[in-house]
Amino acid sequence: MTGRTVRVTVNGVAYERSVEARRTLTDFIRDDLRLTGTHVGCEHGVCGACTVLLDGDAVRACLLLAVQVDGREIRTIEGLERDGQLHPLQEALRDCHSFQCGFCTPGFVMTAVALLEEGATPTEEELREELSGNLCRCTGYQSIVAGVSEAVRRVNGDGGGASGDARRVEEISR
Amino acid sequence: MRMVGAKVPRVEDRRILTGRGHYVDDLQLPRMLHAAFLRSPIAHGRVTHLDVEAARAAPGVHAVYTGADMRELSKPIRSPLSQGAVPEVYPLVTDTVRFVGDLVAMVVADSRYTAEDAVGMIDVEYADLPVVMDYEAALDPSVPPLFADLDSNVVHTATKESGDVDAAFAAADRIIEVTLSQHRIANVPIETRGLVADYDAGSGELTVHAATQSPQGLRLQLAQTLDQPMDRLRVLTQDVGGAFGLKGNIFREDFCVPIASRQLGRPVKWIEDRNEHLMASGHAREERIAARVAVTEAGDILGLTAALDLDMGAYPGMPFSAASFTGVIALLLPGPYKVRGYRCDTRVVATNKSTYVAYRGPWAMETFTRERLIDMVAAELGLDPAEVRRRNLLEGADEDRLITGPTVRGITTRECLDRALERIDYPAFRTEQEAARAEGRYLGIGMAAFIENAPGPKEMRPGGGFTGGESAKVRLEMDGALTVITAQSPHGQGHETTLAQLAADEMGVPFDSVRVVHGDTRLTPFNIIGTGGSRAATWGSGAVMVSTRKLREKVLAIAAGQLEIDPSDLQIVDGVVSPKGVPGKEIPLARLAGQMTLMPQTAPPGTDPNLMAEERFTGEETTGSGWSGGVHACIVEVDLGTGGVEIKRWVVVEDCGRIINPAIVDGQIRGGVAQGIGSVLYERIPYDSEGTFLAGTFMDYLLPTSAEIPPIEIVHIESPDDDGVGFRGVGEGGMIVAPATLTNAISDALAPFGARVTEQYLPPAEVLRLAGVVGAGAA
Repeated sequence: MTGRTVRVTVNGVAYERSVEARRTLTDFIRDDLRLTGTHVGCEHGVCGACTVLLDGDAVRACLLLAVQVDGREIRTIEGLERDGQLHPLQEALRDCHSFQCGFCTPGFVMTAVALLEEGATPTEEELREELSGNLCRCTGYQSIVAGVSEAVRRVNGDGGGASGDARRVEEISR
Repeated sequence: MRMVGAKVPRVEDRRILTGRGHYVDDLQLPRMLHAAFLRSPIAHGRVTHLDVEAARAAPGVHAVYTGADMRELSKPIRSPLSQGAVPEVYPLVTDTVRFVGDLVAMVVADSRYTAEDAVGMIDVEYADLPVVMDYEAALDPSVPPLFADLDSNVVHTATKESGDVDAAFAAADRIIEVTLSQHRIANVPIETRGLVADYDAGSGELTVHAATQSPQGLRLQLAQTLDQPMDRLRVLTQDVGGAFGLKGNIFREDFCVPIASRQLGRPVKWIEDRNEHLMASGHAREERIAARVAVTEAGDILGLTAALDLDMGAYPGMPFSAASFTGVIALLLPGPYKVRGYRCDTRVVATNKSTYVAYRGPWAMETFTRERLIDMVAAELGLDPAEVRRRNLLEGADEDRLITGPTVRGITTRECLDRALERIDYPAFRTEQEAARAEGRYLGIGMAAFIENAPGPKEMRPGGGFTGGESAKVRLEMDGALTVITAQSPHGQGHETTLAQLAADEMGVPFDSVRVVHGDTRLTPFNIIGTGGSRAATWGSGAVMVSTRKLREKVLAIAAGQLEIDPSDLQIVDGVVSPKGVPGKEIPLARLAGQMTLMPQTAPPGTDPNLMAEERFTGEETTGSGWSGGVHACIVEVDLGTGGVEIKRWVVVEDCGRIINPAIVDGQIRGGVAQGIGSVLYERIPYDSEGTFLAGTFMDYLLPTSAEIPPIEIVHIESPDDDGVGFRGVGEGGMIVAPATLTNAISDALAPFGARVTEQYLPPAEVLRLAGVVGAGAA
């Protein structure tokens, strides 16, 4: 098949590659750019493991073709760390023991980054709705909700009271 | 600071949170090819025509393998641990397909895209055979067996009997009979299966990178089936994206991919897609038990008989076949209750479905059945279900035994029940429930108890049990760091953290200077299970502890010789050996290890300068009952308009002994409960009567999300309270007991309608049917 040229910026780095028109964005990111932090869980847009930020919006990379991101800007989980320092979200998720096997992790992290960058201060119920487009099979979600709530508190302040819910989640567990 | 017992942040988290994990699909090797499979679209039929020439000729295609090709390249697949009748099976079908998704041919090409294109060019025709889709068809002797070399679709039967069944039933005031069923579900890790095989024609070595729970188990099976010498067969496993028992199995694709690599002399990758996964990776559960319970009017359970059928699908599981689990069901079904007479007959049947695999507490049918039966007994007798449990529970006294034999000295089930009911405020709930019913709102409470032999009392595991215990290797490096090599193969359990906590405490070194290594069969001790069966807490931990103790003894002997004092007067703190209470004579471990490695001839007489140890843990050092267990209780509200079930509270009181890392234990429990909730309310593997598979996407197979799983409250009881090897497995408990807890709660909510919950799957339509809102046909 004929190749098409894709010019895209990923985590601040400009790339130019020739790809088949049918190549998915996940295969492009993972196999062509060798950024394997973005994971593929279902290839039909349900599990959310492949979530990346496209011009700042959280999208399912498995539902996009590489040719569709020509001229645009993508951020993946590899782009969050700065000079060896974890992003506050990553720190909060680590502190709350949010994840287990790590496979769904990039999707939750990128979904939550978009949420944080909107300045959101959701309640626990709102946060559970926000995160319900990402599937995790290990944790039962409570630790992820607690971790994202904690990040919201650290980054966006108390706002809608998510931190209170995070503390409550923590308290009822002991 | 002691690490064991602390909520130590996980070692694994930095890499998984920054996108730097190493999962099998991340691997890209030079000259690597990609495999795709042609799978059967029908449940049962003969392959009458197979033409792969167009696929072979397609650009970018390197090979196409048919069943006949694979039969030449493989020995029949036989598990060393299989039980029951085993048919002769090869990596691809040789003439008959036996379920939707069965493996017909494999294409190897430059890319997965090209490989899948070529799969579409294969011309295949089938002649339908009659399908076997339920217990009745499988049990019907007039239906031909799925495998011509077996005489029946009943592949295994067994009976377990204890106590005096006839006397128990003769003494009963009432006999309650019911058939309970558990539907087919699946493990569904977010990472599918996959492997990369890399044959080096120069050395004759085959390296297999696999998403597996048991690298050594996979290596053993590959060696046998591929006739590959074990000294030239290495399995590597780094991060694995969840498994829940699934990836402890070995599948036919696992043979196809290495065979292709060996034939082609190039690396070959196959990563299962989600559709393949749901259809053909393996399914779990699907059992029914016809039970009879003999009781007195006062609520004493005198006798229990059970007839269990398990639908194992088409092919025998490897390494553990379904029959391994019917035995555990029969062992644990009476649970920690004072039954006097018990009999369990078990049958495993073959059907035209995907293969039965272990899924987190594969024997959980015993807990679902027993705890559902107790609630039915209570309802029938007009008694409180908590009181019926209290009346019949074993105390954990010295002489207490399960009726099936094992001792249960020290179990805390009764305390767990009391604490759970106290925490959920049972009397207050009953008042609230009554008031709500008066308003037309239907609240229910469910409770259920389980015990699991993780590891079991000592008499159940002489010499380390059927796996012979477990070994670990520890090595003091020249810079004072400690390398721990475990036979465990973690896939989310955080063993790089917990085993480091244990080793740091045992050795007296900082947590950060311990590195846990796993998943390389060149290094790791043999353990056929790897990580699974709630084994790690006891066996993985014990192996690291006894091996580290041995190494510490060696170090102390050397230091004692150098300082000319008795080893018992020495301590190791923060990586420094020193005489207790005598400052100024410290020997940093780095100095000692450097000296012993570079100048071993300077070791004091009678000491060993090899600063390594490998000890086998056989379980002698364990303390406590040997039983993990606990009681869960939950409160639900059922909406009679929608059939929806809202879980309002979920309380866990569990006892897995001494806790190594509370955050990790809580995560295991909550994850298991979430899967149990999924099983009852959302998840089901459906086939139609022709054997067509009906849940090929996540729009059909519904996993619960953060919006469905409630906060889960956890209380720990740590028995016994000592510092021995009192850690017990906790991975499976949540999934074992949650379905019983939730179905009991829904049943309780629907009690005013006389609902009799006998099936575990309770989606809205079934809830409405049970409540009499809709007719029987609607479900």
